[in-house]
Amino acid sequence: MKQSDENNEIDNQLADFTDRLLKGRTEDPASISDEELLSLERTIVRLTDTFPSEPLEDAKVKQMLVRLKARAKREDEQVKPSFWKRIFDFQSNPQVGLLIGAAMIVILVLISIPISSGPGSSLSGAADAGGGNPYIALGLMGILFIIYWVSRRK
Amino acid sequence: MTTKYMQNTSTTSLQDASDEFLIQKFKEGGKEVFDVLYHRHLPKVYKRVRYVIPESDVEDVTQEIFIAALKSLPSFRGDSQFATWLRTLTNHKVAEFYRKRTRKQEPRLAPLSDAAAKVTGSTSQSLEEHIYLQKALQNLPENYREVILLRFAEDMQFNEIAELMTQNLEATKSLFRRAITALRNQLEQ
Repeated sequence: MKQSDENNEIDNQLADFTDRLLKGRTEDPASISDEELLSLERTIVRLTDTFPSEPLEDAKVKQMLVRLKARAKREDEQVKPSFWKRIFDFQSNPQVGLLIGAAMIVILVLISIPISSGPGSSLSGAADAGGGNPYIALGLMGILFIIYWVSRRK
Repeated sequence: MTTKYMQNTSTTSLQDASDEFLIQKFKEGGKEVFDVLYHRHLPKVYKRVRYVIPESDVEDVTQEIFIAALKSLPSFRGDSQFATWLRTLTNHKVAEFYRKRTRKQEPRLAPLSDAAAKVTGSTSQSLEEHIYLQKALQNLPENYREVILLRFAEDMQFNEIAELMTQNLEATKSLFRRAITALRNQLEQ
């Protein structure tokens, strides 16, 4: 119990000494009779002497902020999205989305219209009516989907 | 004239605004409020870094911390105070600095050199003491180093440290004494 009280006393004295020292009220540790406390106080004085509390100069703060902003801007530019990502960014680029959609419709229409074989081939034309190659249409749509998917992953 | 007055008023109100308010503004697109946060927190971050990083790297590491803060701020959820979040970020960046150094197989702390002394305007002896103390601080257990940094680098009062560490004042003062004892022992080695 007595040991605990003594420890508490040393804790408080050391904390008070630190408070006084940091407030600029320099105390001479040598005036204290307790050897242990004295050596701890000397360690604190050593610490505060080595790392004095100097306010940062305004010019330095400004200079650091300018450097910070320049670097942030540089890094921002470096992480610009890829060409494909920008092309397929429909939210910020809706016109491109519309164009791609229209192109897909045109391709689908072209594929589904039977290729006219010229005059005199009405029979084969009739036979082909509505019979555009669905595999080609699916293939093209698949390619467009793959391009879109790859661009999202980049 | 009116616009200028309004701008001044707006700047003044931002200076007085809480961190939480500024972060909310930042998230809403008011990127300029980062300057206010920067000016508010730079002194403590810089001072903390100065205690544990070689003088020649202090500015670079401080820069790294604020770049990381700028990038991560949009995802800051506000579970803790901004100052606490920034302190954790600082500790991560300091640890990263030493990890990179170790990987490069460089000494943990910068060698004493006349060039470094010239930069800081210190004498060789005081620079040596600086390095010696930094090394001792780095070798302390994390909770010891933290209580010392909170009191000396961040100038927090013991009751504030106790609140931050969610312990009572007596326990905090006891931790502080044990931390100083460990530091003294490190210095005597």
